[in-house]
Amino acid sequence: MQMHRGSRCVAALVAFAAIAFICALWLARGAHAQNEVRMKPQEVQSGTLLFKPDDGGETFAVVRQSTDVTLRVSGLVVRATVRQTFHNPHDHWYEGIYVFPLPENAAVDHLKMRVGEREVLGVIKERAQAKAAYEQAKASGQRAALLEQERPNLFTSSVANIGPHEDITVELEYQQTLRYDNGRFSLRFPTVVMPRYIPGTVKVAGAAGTGWAVATDLVTDAARITPPVPLTGTLDEPLNPLKLQVLLDAGVPLAAVDSPYHKVSVTEVDGQRREVRLEGDTWATRDFELIWTPLAAQQPQAAFFTEQKDGKTYGLLMVMPPAASSVRALPREVIYIIDTSGSMEGASIVQAREALQMAVQRLDAGDTFNVIEFNSYAKALFNDAQAATRENIDSAVRWVRQLRARGGTEMATALTLALNGRENPDRVRQVIFLTDGSVGNEAQLFKLIADRLGDSRLFTVGIGSAPNSYFMSKAAQAGRGTFTYIGKIDEVKEKMATLFAKLESPVLKGVQVAWPQAQVEAWPQRVPDLYLGEPIVISAVLDRMQGEVKLSGMNGETQWQSALPLAAAHPGAGMGVLWAREKISALTDSLREGRSEDEVRPAVVQVALAHHLVSKYTSLVAIDPMPVRRTNDPLKRTAVPMNLPDGTVQEAIFGELPQGATDARFNLMLGLVLLLMAAVMWRMRRRTVP
Amino acid sequence: MRAARDDRFRTEAMALGVECALPAGYAARCVARPGSASRLSGALLLVCIAVGLWHFGQGVYIHAKATLAQYLIADAWHKTLAGRREVKPWPWADTWPVARIDAPAAGERLYVLEGANGRAIAFGPGHVHGTPLPGMPGNSVIGGHRDTHFAFLRTLKIGDPLSVQREDGAWRGYRVAGAAVVDRSDVYVTRNSGPTRLTLVTCWPFDALRAGGPERYVVTATAAPK
Repeated sequence: MQMHRGSRCVAALVAFAAIAFICALWLARGAHAQNEVRMKPQEVQSGTLLFKPDDGGETFAVVRQSTDVTLRVSGLVVRATVRQTFHNPHDHWYEGIYVFPLPENAAVDHLKMRVGEREVLGVIKERAQAKAAYEQAKASGQRAALLEQERPNLFTSSVANIGPHEDITVELEYQQTLRYDNGRFSLRFPTVVMPRYIPGTVKVAGAAGTGWAVATDLVTDAARITPPVPLTGTLDEPLNPLKLQVLLDAGVPLAAVDSPYHKVSVTEVDGQRREVRLEGDTWATRDFELIWTPLAAQQPQAAFFTEQKDGKTYGLLMVMPPAASSVRALPREVIYIIDTSGSMEGASIVQAREALQMAVQRLDAGDTFNVIEFNSYAKALFNDAQAATRENIDSAVRWVRQLRARGGTEMATALTLALNGRENPDRVRQVIFLTDGSVGNEAQLFKLIADRLGDSRLFTVGIGSAPNSYFMSKAAQAGRGTFTYIGKIDEVKEKMATLFAKLESPVLKGVQVAWPQAQVEAWPQRVPDLYLGEPIVISAVLDRMQGEVKLSGMNGETQWQSALPLAAAHPGAGMGVLWAREKISALTDSLREGRSEDEVRPAVVQVALAHHLVSKYTSLVAIDPMPVRRTNDPLKRTAVPMNLPDGTVQEAIFGELPQGATDARFNLMLGLVLLLMAAVMWRMRRRTVP
Repeated sequence: MRAARDDRFRTEAMALGVECALPAGYAARCVARPGSASRLSGALLLVCIAVGLWHFGQGVYIHAKATLAQYLIADAWHKTLAGRREVKPWPWADTWPVARIDAPAAGERLYVLEGANGRAIAFGPGHVHGTPLPGMPGNSVIGGHRDTHFAFLRTLKIGDPLSVQREDGAWRGYRVAGAAVVDRSDVYVTRNSGPTRLTLVTCWPFDALRAGGPERYVVTATAAPK
């Protein structure tokens, strides 16, 4: 009887073990979510960090940089002076290369190199010529500085022949229009570059550049846009000390001035002027922002500034359209995209999750929605947009709460999933995209957005301490939506509420601008749809200051019109460079609409040279005629490192070395031990049970 | 008689219901009832056999997968050499062979897969995305398991030859230049500067029982001059 029972037992066991084994086989195959879009395996990103000895020595003593910024605000524009001081701590000569960010609409028109008392002014040249002049000066031992544009918001300063223990200061200036939205002016100064994700297949090994990434088919200049960062824990204090002051002349009486991300001291000069300074020791680890609000009664409704330059009149026009009168409410289809790539790990993913939960809970019962997350892959919550019922919203919130940030930033996959190019007049389709925009293939993505947009609108929400605002604002422009920036967690509620107010409907569509003369060249040529609280901003070059400029558009379902006499213009400074910068930006955008580079390039070069502007095709170069280094003394080249932005996690961005072990040995060992134990027990049972 | 059989089956079913999910001791406590020492030891025996078989099977499965997959990948590699690109070794694969490495000193012939993620390197050594492909100029980084494909790394000596075949069929020779133990966060070993080389990464120590340790064993092999 006992024997019989035992054998049955073993038979049942063997059957079960077989089933378990088959189950394990099936599980190990790697079941993917049904609606996941397959991409190349890119879980492990390669990253090279500085500050690990390649050859044993010189771990920490690198050429370092410090920045001193003065921002002069007058009315709608800001003139910035950025002084970068490069310090060489070594006994030999160095060339320092520093990749750094500037605002995405900065018009850089001035460069000066200073060594002690000596000052050398920069001249504008075509990029290749400027580079050649710099290389020649470098080789013949002269001090030289070169300023090149890598992206509209990313630049490189190269400084040659920094003597032993010497300081060289590179001073650059730029002009920029301020952002005016919902009655508030804001000024941003980026200080640090989030390491960007470089998609694509590696093309050439060891391509030119000093960054941590190598060129790929999608990002051909990867090595130029990825400045090295130190490994966490290798430095006593952050790199790149930052000094910053804002001399603010708002032009109208001020109600409030606020710096949300930095501690500042504010000195009141008079009703409309303030002096703002960073307090204490600050390092370039997160973007600086200053926000000011004019007194309620003094909020500008229209402004027109002009500047005479080379016999021409350049103007900057701003008009605030009134709030919408009537809006036909259509049901909405809202698609949320959340970036869960490695660069979002830390504070950013917390903000993004918070913002997304809030956004989902604000949906109306008649709306439909879906949520897409992406890192190396993109994954949707539902196969198709679902009604915003209580259960669906709850399951979305639960899904969002468990999202973790890891892996690559394959944005194209997510955008392809979200933008289907379809048109449906019975609903408003809005895509809300929460990301830090840390990608190197911006141009490819803009094209994808424009091609697949259909009647959807794309609203970008910038997250984190240093988002790529060039990507955010251009993506929103290509997607005919707006860009919102959330810099810290306690802003989520307010910023998302403002965004939702905008999302209801555009305030003004089909804006037309009519100038009194025929020969007015105005940028942008097509004014985008405006959302609540946004002004129309136009740069123009005029012949005569007579007549009036007429503006019109559809305000809800009624026609809106406004006229402004040109004679009422106020004199201003820098309108010429701003116009040139807008023109260059429009020319560059036309590349995506199919114009060839051969056609666009000469047009950009012409404008940029005339206005002394740095662009994709033109650079500023300053060369000291006096040689200082004997040509047989060696010159070393080094990339100047940059901090990781606040709140980021290094391992999440750069990954780790692949894990090279399985649990096979453990499995085999444990399996054998257990089976052995079973055999012993089996024998013991047979002895004890009669 | 019939009633007794039913009773017995119920007991076994209860034991089977918990054995995989819970530690053996917990399962034993669950079924422990006063005056049922025999049933308890029976249940314990079942748990031991089942868990033991599962683990043993898992270990065998990992090795079988690593060995068998290389045959399928070899097939995909031949198609790649014939001019096709990104040939998936099996229909649901999300990786494909990008190079072949021969280590004559260890008698190894391995096919390198694209991507060094856990899914890929279960089947073969994986090429770390973002580094040059093996056989190309620059620093090609390849990850592999120390207990399967890359077990031979511990036997390599300085000067041992390695040869790499690229997708276009061309061969390139390498020689082992050195080895080092680093931390898993030391991604500087993947830096793409200096001579053309292979950087082979596996887990350290080789004899550790379990996976997931923080250390890596890195072998560098520099390209022989053409």
